[in-house]
Amino acid sequence: MIQDIIKILSNGELVGYILKGTVGTLIVTACSALMGLVLGFIVAIVKIAAENNKYMKIPAFICNIYTTVIRGTPVALQLFILVFAVFAIPGFKPYAAIITFGINSGAYVSENIRAGIMSVDKGQLEAGRALGLTWFQTMIKIILPQAIKNIIPAIGNEMIALLKETSIISWVGATPGTLTFDLNAAANTIYHSIPNYIASGILVGCCYLVIVYIMVYVVKYLERRMRQSDKR
Amino acid sequence: MISVKNLKKNFGNLEVLKGITCEIQKGEKVAVIGPSGSGKSTFLRCLNMLETPTGGEVWFDGKLLTDVDASLHAELTNKKAIKKFNNQYKLNIDIARKKLGMVFQHFNLFNNLTILNNITLAPIAMAKIQRKQTKKLNALKRKFDAAKTESQKNKLNEKAKHLYGTDLSTYEMMPILSDSKIKLDATEKAMALLERIGLSSKANVYPSTISGGQKQRVAIIRALAMDPEVLLFDEPTSALDIEMVQEVLSLITELADDGMTMIVVTHEMGFAKEVSTRVLFMDDGKIVADDTPNEIFTQPKDERLKSFLSKVLH
Repeated sequence: MIQDIIKILSNGELVGYILKGTVGTLIVTACSALMGLVLGFIVAIVKIAAENNKYMKIPAFICNIYTTVIRGTPVALQLFILVFAVFAIPGFKPYAAIITFGINSGAYVSENIRAGIMSVDKGQLEAGRALGLTWFQTMIKIILPQAIKNIIPAIGNEMIALLKETSIISWVGATPGTLTFDLNAAANTIYHSIPNYIASGILVGCCYLVIVYIMVYVVKYLERRMRQSDKR
Repeated sequence: MISVKNLKKNFGNLEVLKGITCEIQKGEKVAVIGPSGSGKSTFLRCLNMLETPTGGEVWFDGKLLTDVDASLHAELTNKKAIKKFNNQYKLNIDIARKKLGMVFQHFNLFNNLTILNNITLAPIAMAKIQRKQTKKLNALKRKFDAAKTESQKNKLNEKAKHLYGTDLSTYEMMPILSDSKIKLDATEKAMALLERIGLSSKANVYPSTISGGQKQRVAIIRALAMDPEVLLFDEPTSALDIEMVQEVLSLITELADDGMTMIVVTHEMGFAKEVSTRVLFMDDGKIVADDTPNEIFTQPKDERLKSFLSKVLH
C-alpha cells in the first residue's frame, strides 16, 4: 500500500489530479458557502421579523417550508433533482451542483443565525426600540454584533460539514477539467491508473483533513477575537 | 400630555390590564405602586408601545400612539371612517418614542458599544434622519422660490405641509450638517451629561466593566440625550444592590426637581412619598387609587391599598 502511495506521489499527472481536486473542492465549497450565508441570513431575518410584523408572516411561512423541506430530505436527493430535473441545461451541471449545496447550506445556516440572534437578551432590542431606533437599525447596530459571537462557532461547524458534503458531487459526474472535479472525483480518477482505493483514499483524506484543520483554526481565531472585544 | 383611555392588555387568556383610564399633565411626577403582578410594568410598557395593547387608546400630545379603538368613538361606524381617523391622528411610534424616554429595570445598556457610543447612538441616528428631511425641505423651498405662478407655489406648499407640517413661505433654509459635525455635537452633549453624573472617565469603557448603579445612571442620561418630554422608569432600582439605590434615586430626584415629567413604577415607597406629585396604586390590572402622595400614605381609603401599605411600610 505504501508503495502505491509513493507511486501516486511520484506521478506528476496523478498529483495534478489531487491538486486540481483540492482547488475544485475549495471553489465549490466557497461558492456554496457564500450563497448559503446570504440565503441563511435573509431567511433568519425574515423569520425573526415575522414575530412582530404582520407583513412578514407570509414570507416567513415560505421560509419555514424551505427550511423544513431542505433539512428534511437528503442532500443527495436534492442534488439529483436540481441537476437532472430543475437545471437540466447542458453545461450547467457544475453551477446546478453549487446552487444545490448553497440552498442546502442556507437552511442550516439560517437556523444557526436565528439561534444566535435569539440568544441576545431581549432587553437589548427593547432598549433600542425605546430610543426611537427602527427594528432594522437596532438589528444591525446592536443585536447582530452581539449575536455574531454565538453564530460564528455554529457557522464554522456548518461550513466544515458542507466541505465534506460536497464530495457527493462526483455522483452527478465529474471529469478532470470541470468545475465539479473535486477531491473525491480525483480519488476515483486515480483509481483507474493505480487500482488501490486505500492508497488514493488516504491521500485524498489527508487533503480533506488539512483543509478542515485550517478551517477549525480560522474559526477559533475569529472566536477569540470576538470574545476580546466584549471583555475590555 | 399623556392620556390613557380604557387601556386593556391580555397575554393569551391572562387579562393583565382591565381598562385603565388616566391623564398625565406636563410636569407631573407620577409614582405607580402596587403588588407584584398588578400590571404596573405592563401599563408603563403600553405607554410607549413596547407592549401592544389589546384595547383602548393612548394619546400623547394630541396624537394617537395605539390604533384607534372604535368602541370609544360613537361616530366611527364603518371601516372607512376608522381608517380616516387613524390617518389623521396616528403618530409613527418611532417618532413618538424619541419623546418618551424609557429606563429599564435591568439597565439594558448596549453591551457591544462603549458608554459614550451607548449615549450617542440614537441621537446620531435621529440627526441623520432629520438631515434627510432638511434636504428635502430645502429642495422644496428652492423650487418654491423659483416657481413662477401662484398655483405652482400653492401646490408645493401643500406638499410640504402634508409631508412635514411646514409652511414653505416662512421656512428658512437650514444648513446640511456633515457626518462628522453630527457626531461631534452628539459626543459633546454626551460628555456634558457624563460630566454631570461624574462618569466622564468611563466614556470609553464597555458596560460590563462598570457597577449596576453606574449602569443605571448611564441608562438614564442615555434617555436624556434624546431630549425627551417624558421619562418612563420601569422599577429603576429593583435590580440594584442596596448601597447603589441611593445614587440612582438622587439622580432621578434631581431630574424631577428640574421639572421633567416622569412616570416611575417603583417599590421605593420613600421615593414615591417624597418625590412624586401623584401616586397611582394599581391592583389586579386596574387603578384602585389615584391621589397625592400625602393622601395615599397618610389617609389611605381603599382596603386593598391599606393592606398593601401595611405590608410594605412595616
